[in-house]
Amino acid sequence: MPTRERVDVNFFRPSTENMKAEVRIVKIVLICWALLSYGIPVIIYLAGLGDPSGLGESFITRARFLGFPLHYWLIAQGCTIGYILLCKLYCMLWDKKITRQGPRRKS
Amino acid sequence: MNRTLLIFCLTLTAICCLTGNLFAASGEEIYQVEQGFKLIPAVIMVALLCVYVGVGFLSKVSDTSGYWIASQGIGKFGNGAAIASDWMSAASFMGVAGLLYLKGWFGLGYIIGWTGGYVLLLCLIAAQLRRFGKYTIPEFLGDRYDCHTVRLIAASVTVIIAITYSTAQFKGIGLICGWIFGISYTSSVFFAAGVVCAYMLISGMAGVTRNQQIQYVVLICAFMIPLWVLIKNAGGAGILPQLEYGNILSGLMEGQVAGGALNTEDTEKLRQIYLPWGAGSCYQFIALVFTLMVGTAGLPHIMIRFYTVKNEDVARKSVIWALFFIGLLYWSSPVYAAMGKFWNPMGSRAVADVIILSAPEKANLGIVFIGCLASGAMAAGLSTVAGLLVAGASAIAHDWYATVLKPDCTDKQALLVGRIFTAILCGIVIFTALNPPALIAQIVAMAFAIAGNTIFPVVVLGIWYSKSNKYGALAGMIWGLGMTLLTMTGWILGIEFFGPYGLMPATSSALIVCPIAFLLNIIVSNVMAENVTEETADKSDHILRKLHNLPGHVDERPSPL
Repeated sequence: MPTRERVDVNFFRPSTENMKAEVRIVKIVLICWALLSYGIPVIIYLAGLGDPSGLGESFITRARFLGFPLHYWLIAQGCTIGYILLCKLYCMLWDKKITRQGPRRKS
Repeated sequence: MNRTLLIFCLTLTAICCLTGNLFAASGEEIYQVEQGFKLIPAVIMVALLCVYVGVGFLSKVSDTSGYWIASQGIGKFGNGAAIASDWMSAASFMGVAGLLYLKGWFGLGYIIGWTGGYVLLLCLIAAQLRRFGKYTIPEFLGDRYDCHTVRLIAASVTVIIAITYSTAQFKGIGLICGWIFGISYTSSVFFAAGVVCAYMLISGMAGVTRNQQIQYVVLICAFMIPLWVLIKNAGGAGILPQLEYGNILSGLMEGQVAGGALNTEDTEKLRQIYLPWGAGSCYQFIALVFTLMVGTAGLPHIMIRFYTVKNEDVARKSVIWALFFIGLLYWSSPVYAAMGKFWNPMGSRAVADVIILSAPEKANLGIVFIGCLASGAMAAGLSTVAGLLVAGASAIAHDWYATVLKPDCTDKQALLVGRIFTAILCGIVIFTALNPPALIAQIVAMAFAIAGNTIFPVVVLGIWYSKSNKYGALAGMIWGLGMTLLTMTGWILGIEFFGPYGLMPATSSALIVCPIAFLLNIIVSNVMAENVTEETADKSDHILRKLHNLPGHVDERPSPL
């Protein structure tokens, strides 16, 4: 195989149109993912800083949602439902931005 | 050939059962639940086992592609169910409810860790891996970095993960079989091993995948049906238990249980575990969640699933289904934990291990329901073990034997080696399961730490960073594997730094180790960039074009080994 120009793949510097679109979708989804997974525990942590016993009791743990303590529901069901929606969002964005334009761009 | 194999398997099963009985005297006892042989659960269980082996036999295969990746003919719904059932091990079936029972809110970290990882997997890995389209993860890494050492390390890690993870499953299966048949822990481990071996050797991945779909249905039905009765007995309306247990949970925080109100001291204990940081700090929670997530995204036996689907579109969509199917289980297991607390607020660790059996028992649910649950847990354990053993054996047979040791071997030889190693792996797992080194959940969590620290960084960089080369990959993998083994040793020796309340617990080491593995890979790759030969660079370039659908890659059929 003769030496030819090598592809440059870098998540933060996507080189082709298709890859740019792909990375944009991935970034949107991953940012939401990080907010869900780490944002919620951090919020619960910050809200609970005022509790002298260190257990993190706050308005979030006192609030009730569907009968659950809010902090419990957010993690037990809120996050997992969020993840499924994120996967759905990813597939929808992909269908919209890439599958439709894909065949034209390929070689 | 097939008849000999069948006879061989049957003999193996028989030997397993017999030796099991010989070892019986030294076995561990099943605690908390009633002893003795139970007819109805046993009938349910045996009928299901016959179905599994029968399906495996009917969909038996004769070529390697069929054995490893089910000839790439599985749709999104089926693959989703197969991923879910691969995923839902005896550990998540029994262990998660137990953890939630013991640790309360903190235990929810396992739930979001084990579901959130799929988002990572979907975004960064799934579609690209499908485009690559060969057999195993070590093969992907070995080809991408054009380096046999990378391939060998990846294959070894796959085997280590398969063994640690299956050990936990066998322990779960052993507890269940022991409960149903009234036999000792040891003999039930052998019994389960015989069944797993028989149907895996006969069928390979196609049978395993088909069975996994059946097993998913069995296990999710078995898991959910008793909930309705449970919630009714606890005073709920019995419409949607997953939403109704909220009131009971809020009641628990105020000390309201089945036997009336608790005294102040016990109420305080209950309130504490349901408050955010009652069972662990915020740092520990996040470290655990992060480790489980990267571990999930790095588990070879889950990644291998994306090779079995028709195309990358199906690969993507099957993740949604998989996550939904897994979600069904994880929305339900907290209910068992809360119910367990409701009827038995001060249970110990021994109760926690079998909480899904003991909660219904305390609520007087009747033997049929408990039998269903036990069969479900059995299905969960079997399907996971089968998937793991296929992944582990394929790592050895395909990546060690057929690629490195003897590249000119025939299809038949590779298949034979695959089958032999499936049996050998099974033997090793039986051996470790008889003397498990730690608790179920801990063993599993350590497998996740290995996957997250070793496999995840190198796969992601292999896909998304073209400058990454074999030197970087080696540095990253050795660091990840080394550190994980170090933390595990530290944990077992009881060093506080690596202990459950230390800075770097063995079960959640990835928050620190994984990012450093990424960095090491990038830095070493850049430093050593000069040493990469033209040939290697061309090969990597070719694979990268394929992974990202870029123009210029020669579209070749997957080579027949």
